Amino acid sequence: MLPIAVDAMGGDNAPGEIVEGARRAVAEAGAPVVLVGRPDDLAALRGDLDLIEASQVIGMDADPGSSVRTMKDSSLVRAAEAVRDGKAAAMVSAGNTGAAMASALLRMGRIKGVSRPAIATPIPVPGSTPTVLLDAGANAECQAAWLVQFAQMGAVFARERYGVEAPRVGLLSIGEESSKGNPLVKETHALLADPAALALSGARFVGNVEGRDIMTDEVDVVVTDGFTGNVALKTLEGGMRALVRSVLDALGATSVADEALAALMPLYATLDPDQHGGAMLLGVDGVCIISHGSSSATAIVNAVRVAREMVEAGIVERLRAAVAPR
Amino acid sequence: MPAETHVERSPMDRQQVFDLIRDRLSDILEVEPSSINEGDSFTDDLEADSLALIELAEALEEELGERSVGFRIEDEDLEDIKTVRDAVDYVLARL
Repeated sequence: MLPIAVDAMGGDNAPGEIVEGARRAVAEAGAPVVLVGRPDDLAALRGDLDLIEASQVIGMDADPGSSVRTMKDSSLVRAAEAVRDGKAAAMVSAGNTGAAMASALLRMGRIKGVSRPAIATPIPVPGSTPTVLLDAGANAECQAAWLVQFAQMGAVFARERYGVEAPRVGLLSIGEESSKGNPLVKETHALLADPAALALSGARFVGNVEGRDIMTDEVDVVVTDGFTGNVALKTLEGGMRALVRSVLDALGATSVADEALAALMPLYATLDPDQHGGAMLLGVDGVCIISHGSSSATAIVNAVRVAREMVEAGIVERLRAAVAPR
Repeated sequence: MPAETHVERSPMDRQQVFDLIRDRLSDILEVEPSSINEGDSFTDDLEADSLALIELAEALEEELGERSVGFRIEDEDLEDIKTVRDAVDYVLARL
């Protein structure tokens, strides 16, 4: 198998945690890895890992489109080119999300028939497989037909990533009734209600769902526009963080703290985003995993593992087959 | 002198430039070429976002770079290209 290209320069903890994660991915997951980044910055860290040299780094707050066009020797662009040129099987980055998407889109290209790529983010569900939320931020404004494609692609991802045979697809709205929602939601609902819409992806439309349903086992894929999806994602992250903090504060003053914390640790691991291997950009002609900007070495290990699994599952070909041609 | 500067091709006329832009836009936006008109606004009529325009710029640079060495669409100029006609004018002025 070709190596997974890891953007060693992207992320709040780059390059230290990223390179450590790449080294662990080789040792723990047996995944071949090639780093992409500045040789001088990585010389003391990379050991015997191979390197694709890139002299530039796109900042976390840089404008995605223009930075990709002007920084052609950046680690993100070189990682995407490595996939395009057949030097790597997939790319992983914890860097600037928009620039990662732009790099993948402009260098790998889109799967024929896909109007817009979407970011599919796994949302943990205690006691069940994660819910796939998309679009989690790639397209702030969407058309109904794009959301139908997101549903098709999300269903393929849920099946290949989590083994859900017939994924249940929900449309994020402000009420379960089909009459609820804004014009985009209503138009999309009508399109998804046609059984032919998801036929090629083997999924089933279960109607509108609400934000409270995302972290339940009532639905496997939740579809929305990138603006709403990103708000939902960040709200869930903030809510979970606040909950964990308040539980720890409350327990800290009691005599059962040690026992309770030990019992809660498995739940914490379920909810820890580092365990889920990041989001996948669906719709580009290659595998691109986008990890959280604050990714730890463990997050990178899991991202590389997911990248390899998606390559081995042939997800790009499965997406190509599932997306209805226009 | 680089070999590519010796390539002799007849200059592109306005219709050829429009056809090229329309074909690339059709691929990028997943719409029928016949639905794209020269007077169309990228945002209002074609609903193209900024990334789609960058895709178009990269595609044109790749295509036209072979014909006119060093052909490039400057990022700051992209903001002024509002319609398909603007894009055709821009390309014609720089070939």
